[in-house]
Amino acid sequence: MANEKNSVGGMQRLSGLLVGLGRGIGKLVAALYDGGRKTIDMMIRNVIPFIAFISFVIGIIQKTGVGNLIAQALAPLASNIFGLIILGLIVGIPVLSPVLGPGAVIAQIIGTLVGTLIVEGKVPPQMALPAFFAIDVQVGCDFIPVGLALGEAKPKTVEVGVPAVLFSREITGVIAILIAYLASFGLFPR
Amino acid sequence: MKALAEGASYFIGLFQEGGKVFLSLLGGILPTVIVLMTAIYALVSLIGEERVERWAKASSRNVITRYTIMPFLAMFFLTNPMAYTFGRFLPERYKPAFYDAAVSFCHPITGLFPHANPGELFVYLGIASGLQKIGLPIGGVAIRYFLVGLVVIFIRGIVTERITAFLTPRILGEGYTLEDLDKQEA
Repeated sequence: MANEKNSVGGMQRLSGLLVGLGRGIGKLVAALYDGGRKTIDMMIRNVIPFIAFISFVIGIIQKTGVGNLIAQALAPLASNIFGLIILGLIVGIPVLSPVLGPGAVIAQIIGTLVGTLIVEGKVPPQMALPAFFAIDVQVGCDFIPVGLALGEAKPKTVEVGVPAVLFSREITGVIAILIAYLASFGLFPR
Repeated sequence: MKALAEGASYFIGLFQEGGKVFLSLLGGILPTVIVLMTAIYALVSLIGEERVERWAKASSRNVITRYTIMPFLAMFFLTNPMAYTFGRFLPERYKPAFYDAAVSFCHPITGLFPHANPGELFVYLGIASGLQKIGLPIGGVAIRYFLVGLVVIFIRGIVTERITAFLTPRILGEGYTLEDLDKQEA
């Protein structure tokens, strides 16, 4: 009698465990499957169209020889730290930065061009790290009022915040490039 | 006739070059990014929004975590551009600095966590795929980009916070203080 009770309790515990396990795995699988769907959705809707666009631009630039012109202008800027600082100062100019910002299109095109310059050996690989920051001083400068509004900022905060961020970039842009340059030592040991 | 044929093949050549670029971008790094993004999206949905907001509020109280941990949490869990909504946990005077720190992290984070800003991957990938093509490992680059990014957004947060304090009386009129900024009505 007592034995029977024990075995019933044991069965219940076991089945409870199995149900819990099943539920947990079900939740995990559902989350992963959903993650896959979201990822593919994102790829189809945002990433692959951008790759098509950038492939077109790079293809034209390389085939027509415009690429050589841009490369000639970009290579001396991207191949050493002083050039990168100059590049950073230019894209960070407070009236220029909001124009260069949208969609990070300019940063992405320059980045891809720097990538091809690295392949061609015109820019040393260890310049990659400071280059990330030099081509991106203007990041989000087009979006300040909207970004602040998303954070529920009040009108006067926006009035002060927009110039504050724009001016800050001209200072911190150079600092960022220098820190990245220092951090790039030993990146690709020979 | 010959000129016409040459013209046509030049014209097609423009797009063949683009096609090569397209395929190398698609086949190079993208497959890894897809698998990684799948895992991270799953993780984010398992952790849940409430817990993340609790972490964000806790990190908003300290000047160091406010411009490092908080922007990271925002970008990692809410992704660009919803990340900036975490600004609502802060008083007005810190909002421009937080936005500056958060937005400046939207590319350094993509080397390790591409799901955070998939529409703008090529700030990182453009350069990284160049490195990959000449056979260099990009893991170290991604980690350093991330870590330097954290240092940079911290400095940027501090500097922008100071500049906001400096500009407030100069733009909004003498005698307008940061307390007034915090207390303003919508």
